Amino acid sequence: MPVSLKVKIANLVLKNPVTVASGTFGYGEEFAEYFDISKLGAVTVKSLTLKPRLGNTPPRIVETPAGMLNAIGLQNVGIERYIKEKLPFLREKGCTIIANIYGTTIEEYCSLAQILEKENGADAIEINLSCPNVHDARAQSKCPLIAQSPEWVEKYTSSVREKTSLPLIVKLTPNVTSIIEPALSAEKGGADAVSLVNTFLGMSIDAQTRRPKLKNIVGGLSGPCIKPIALRMVWEVSRAVKIPVIGMGGICNAEDAIEFLIAGARMIAVGSYNFRDPYAPVRVLEGIERYCVDNGIEDINELIGSLIIEE
Amino acid sequence: MKLYDCIVSSHNEVAPGYFRLVLKDKELAELSQPGQFIMLEVTNTYEPFLRRPMSIERIFSDSISILYKVVGKGTKLLSTISIGEIINVQGPLGNSFPIDPNVKEYLLVGGGIGIAPFPALAEKIIRTHGGNIQVIIGAKNHPQVLCERDFREMGCKVYVATEDGSYGEKGLVTDILENLNINSPVTVYTCGPIRMIKKVHQICEQRDWVCYASLEANMACGIGVCLGCVVPVKFVVENEMMARVCKEGPIFDTRVIQWEKI
Repeated sequence: MPVSLKVKIANLVLKNPVTVASGTFGYGEEFAEYFDISKLGAVTVKSLTLKPRLGNTPPRIVETPAGMLNAIGLQNVGIERYIKEKLPFLREKGCTIIANIYGTTIEEYCSLAQILEKENGADAIEINLSCPNVHDARAQSKCPLIAQSPEWVEKYTSSVREKTSLPLIVKLTPNVTSIIEPALSAEKGGADAVSLVNTFLGMSIDAQTRRPKLKNIVGGLSGPCIKPIALRMVWEVSRAVKIPVIGMGGICNAEDAIEFLIAGARMIAVGSYNFRDPYAPVRVLEGIERYCVDNGIEDINELIGSLIIEE
Repeated sequence: MKLYDCIVSSHNEVAPGYFRLVLKDKELAELSQPGQFIMLEVTNTYEPFLRRPMSIERIFSDSISILYKVVGKGTKLLSTISIGEIINVQGPLGNSFPIDPNVKEYLLVGGGIGIAPFPALAEKIIRTHGGNIQVIIGAKNHPQVLCERDFREMGCKVYVATEDGSYGEKGLVTDILENLNINSPVTVYTCGPIRMIKKVHQICEQRDWVCYASLEANMACGIGVCLGCVVPVKFVVENEMMARVCKEGPIFDTRVIQWEKI
């Protein structure tokens, strides 16, 4: 009996629950030299903005214990070149595409969503309300990140919701007291799913020179060091909302991924570990399938949210 | 591009704190070009988390070598690996040194561990184009002078500069470069600390010499997706961009680098 790995987000059926975290997989081209990227449930592309962005001044990354800090600053080719130069490749490969978008205003998010829908540029849209390395949100929401304000999360989500019929995912930040609040706001605003977590704000200092190791001073922490916190947040959110949760944060192997599925994630994303092992997403996928076979699970949905808590 | 499980066929401390590691894999060796680099997995744990980028030093028929300096936990761990052990290698990555067949004078300028990519380049020039190769090696002191004998055995003319004057000329590689007179067209290749590269670039610009630099950067993926290793450049086709050291580089014509932004 073959295992069914199919999962659903809104009306979109994904062939399996494995995707990649935005910004760790480019637009797929580089990884296609290593494996057939259409095997993944979806390819989540690097954040897209209306105009190309140069990103932050280097140094932009620094290694930390069991992880890394980054302050890339959303360097990307912009929506126009994505449609012209990156999209045809992903379509030709037969990938299901989750397009991550970032705007400095509500209107920019709306325009990006409309362009993507019109150009068949995505099968789902993930709105990035949680990049820790750009400083555009402060003026509007009084928070460094939109995703830190439940009120603004709802406002942004509902605005984009009005403009697109594509499945809408809201990416949340873990840099909050309670991640349940913004998750509920996203749901109320009409999101079809929430994805969490984005990176944790962190910092690294060179003790010899007394200078920050990142030019941006602070950056986003990712890698296996954040996994237990991300897992806890995915568990909390998936109990609180009715919409699917896409779980991510330090997933390096199938066992990590399975923990997130058991905690309640309907999909999982491999992030920074793609930098270490370009085959990571496909190894995770194969491992999940093997686990299901070994444990007599016929449908992956049986596993999702199956955490056993003894009284 | 693939991942290769390479067998360590040789591993020596060639100078205090500097090691030469020979990695055996026929396909990797056949694909490698001078100037390219590899990403080494120094542990099968998550500490350190990322691979380590290393310039290819020499290319043999069924193996490649790297030359590295112990600077942190990754290279320290690497230095403990024994002959016969297996290391996972991603590569070869990045672009390679361009060689203009019309030029017959080549100048290789390496500071410290920056000499690492040049033995392979010198061998390729000798094998495919011929011409005169002059090498300027810079080091803090005599024990840290790397690859001098290798270059001499290849027939290169070698100059050495040491900061403490314990060997060769006292001073920096750029002091020697400034006093060098070459009247025919020359291509300069350089690698080392960024301030040294900048100075080499300035000297070359004054003399209208083409100069290619191999750049170093903090790097997570090595394949162009993390965008961590960028350097500001100005190509003719694009007004301004952040070029990836791992993908558009590591070799750059020094005239395209926006030096004022570094």
